Amino acid sequence: MSSNLYTYGVIEQDSVALDRPGINDAPITTVDYRSLSAVVSEIDNQAPEQTDENATAHDEVLRELLGSDGGRTVVPMQFGMVFNNARTLKNVLRNGRVAFRRSLNDLDGMVELGLKLVTKDDTDLDRPAVVEDVATRLREVADTEAANELYSDRLLFNRAYLVARDDQPAFDAQIAEIREQYGEALHVQYNGPWAPYNFVDIEISAEGR
Amino acid sequence: MLLLDDLLVRPFVSILEAIHSMAISERYDTTELKNRIKENRLLYELGERSRSEYEQRNSRLRTQLEIAREAREQTRGKVEVMR
Repeated sequence: MSSNLYTYGVIEQDSVALDRPGINDAPITTVDYRSLSAVVSEIDNQAPEQTDENATAHDEVLRELLGSDGGRTVVPMQFGMVFNNARTLKNVLRNGRVAFRRSLNDLDGMVELGLKLVTKDDTDLDRPAVVEDVATRLREVADTEAANELYSDRLLFNRAYLVARDDQPAFDAQIAEIREQYGEALHVQYNGPWAPYNFVDIEISAEGR
Repeated sequence: MLLLDDLLVRPFVSILEAIHSMAISERYDTTELKNRIKENRLLYELGERSRSEYEQRNSRLRTQLEIAREAREQTRGKVEVMR
């Protein structure tokens, strides 16, 4: 069995018992370093293919972590982060300890929520005005926002929001109003809570892997 | 007359190289292909594309992306635009 470790994210030191397995149905476990635990599963290669199935497994492990233990804080890794053994991973946790700790503190009690607005066929509307209106409403109930790429001509709004768990009902209510107002002309895709991918900026060098 | 030949030919070669480079950039635009993969996924999630339509498009686009990456890798350093 390979000792390569696919890494999903970092949490406060704890053991985890999830209902679902990780990529390739491998069981989820942790690698600990002082107050941190990396959530991992074994994998037989260093470059997992970015298939829908693997990406979904990555996301679902993180989402289950978020919901476990009464609402856990997770610093997510991007898809495909593989370390060649537990020792290498512990070195990464040791070298990045300050950054991981800062992120865990900053993200404590927060979740990421996402909103995309996509035009329906033959939609005629004032796109800048819609964007401004929606952005203004959501800023009132979110802590921070991150604008993501508009990768399709039909995609006029694609933002992630960092929201306190306690504020999520207020955020949901704003989304309901937005859906009510624009649902005829636009697809409103609201999703989450996600691990806060868009609000973590920790760089792990290639040597660390 | 080597120098003169070179001066006469060089601009023409440069234009050809530039056209070739632009053609490669357009034909093998990995960013555009990645965007189309994401758009396909989005329209499937929104119910505008069926599962089979999504899978067919996804498979075709990912193959094109793989070819584009290989083509760009193979031509890297061989084609340079003269500025």
